[in-house]
Amino acid sequence: MTRLPQLICPAGSLPALKTAVDNGADAVYTGFKNATNARNFAGLNFTDTQLAEGIRYAQSRGREVLIAINTFAQAGRLAEWRASIDRAADLGADAIILADMGLLAYAHKTHPQLKLHLSVQGSATNFEAINLAHECFGIRRAVLPRVLTLPQVEYVIKNTPVEIETFGFGSLCVMAEGRCILSSYATGQSPNTHGVCSPAAFVRWDNQGKIMNARLNGILIDRFDEGEPAGYPTLCKGRFAVQGETYYALEEPVSLNVLSILPELIRIGVTAIKVEGRQRSPAYVSEVTKTLRAALDTAGDEGYAVKPEWSTALDKVSEGHQQTLGAYSRPWK
Amino acid sequence: MKLPAPLAFIARRLPEAPPSFALATALNLARPKFWPEEDFAWLTGKTVRLLVSDLDRGVNLTFDGQRFRSASLPADVTFGASLEDYLILARRQEDPDTLFFQRRLTIEGDTEIGLALKNLLDSTDLAPLFALLPRPLAARFGL
Repeated sequence: MTRLPQLICPAGSLPALKTAVDNGADAVYTGFKNATNARNFAGLNFTDTQLAEGIRYAQSRGREVLIAINTFAQAGRLAEWRASIDRAADLGADAIILADMGLLAYAHKTHPQLKLHLSVQGSATNFEAINLAHECFGIRRAVLPRVLTLPQVEYVIKNTPVEIETFGFGSLCVMAEGRCILSSYATGQSPNTHGVCSPAAFVRWDNQGKIMNARLNGILIDRFDEGEPAGYPTLCKGRFAVQGETYYALEEPVSLNVLSILPELIRIGVTAIKVEGRQRSPAYVSEVTKTLRAALDTAGDEGYAVKPEWSTALDKVSEGHQQTLGAYSRPWK
Repeated sequence: MKLPAPLAFIARRLPEAPPSFALATALNLARPKFWPEEDFAWLTGKTVRLLVSDLDRGVNLTFDGQRFRSASLPADVTFGASLEDYLILARRQEDPDTLFFQRRLTIEGDTEIGLALKNLLDSTDLAPLFALLPRPLAARFGL
């Protein structure tokens, strides 16, 4: 029988974590309420008490909780990041997700029993980088940046003993993961330094009649006509005037959806499929977990086909106008 | 859920202070149970307006450091949605980001306060609250 990949779902709160577990997630990934993770939004994420309860809830049902500590430690503030690693170990997390090499070294040395995953923010796109992190820090798993084609993912898997996790659904980012400082131009903050791109304090939406303007630190980054779907207010998904044409010059607000290539991902030996969206509400987590669970459970069968109701469910919660296979499919390559 | 036309006609003409006061009172009662660890520093001295856009009526709320109070305009942040969509959110049938992407939920003013409020509600287990509602009312909301 084919071994199915684990389904890894996001949780920004305790109700979201429970919802993910109840709807069939094999593991839930979470973060602390600080700049040590890449979804550092006001009011989001877990206190130690909430995380302890979440870990109890998941583990007592045979599921795992992963804690993302995947931003880069800032000069002079290393203690915050190290303390978060210590807390994760104390709480009994099944693994922590790291990007910073210094933190990987610290965690490997200080908590040798703790499983380490290399975050997508670590930006390791080839097996040499992944194998080096394995040799140096004993990482068990690497989350691949959303920039590789399917054959490239397969090539990585064939050449590494490290488990490979890939993204399966959710908002796409500008595909310079772990290297993006775009939002710094407008706000002085970026995901890898402050755990957030487009911090809410810099975001303003104003309505002129039926038209909605999105501003980041006062800079107009998009304008939505009546009824036009909106996206997150990130610079990479703004519309800009370039040589007389105003359009999504960097990145379209689209969502990744791999339902149609699940059998391929299973065949090439992907260990885990990750859902984006720790910033989303329990309603999203419920819908997406339920749908991916149903799809994964049949994806190993012969004659697997994407059911229309799955597409409808995912379409509804997607950012932007359309869903895409992203970098996985590059037929011209 | 849409209000029947005669009710909507009346609702559009009602003052906003009584429902705001009622909401503040309810939140003060709910606070120890739902948010024992939350100090609401982010809401202190700030006004949040929940505008029911199809009725052009809303409730305005602030926190004075001790208690929730009804507040007067202007608001620091204003959410706008139809009555039906507020109920959909309360029932957790859709998430706020989805409604925002679909332009059914608007947020104007201080986005950070709005996001903190959204995330607070997301992290709150609302089941005990619904259990407190009288049966006929709960049924009306499909709970």
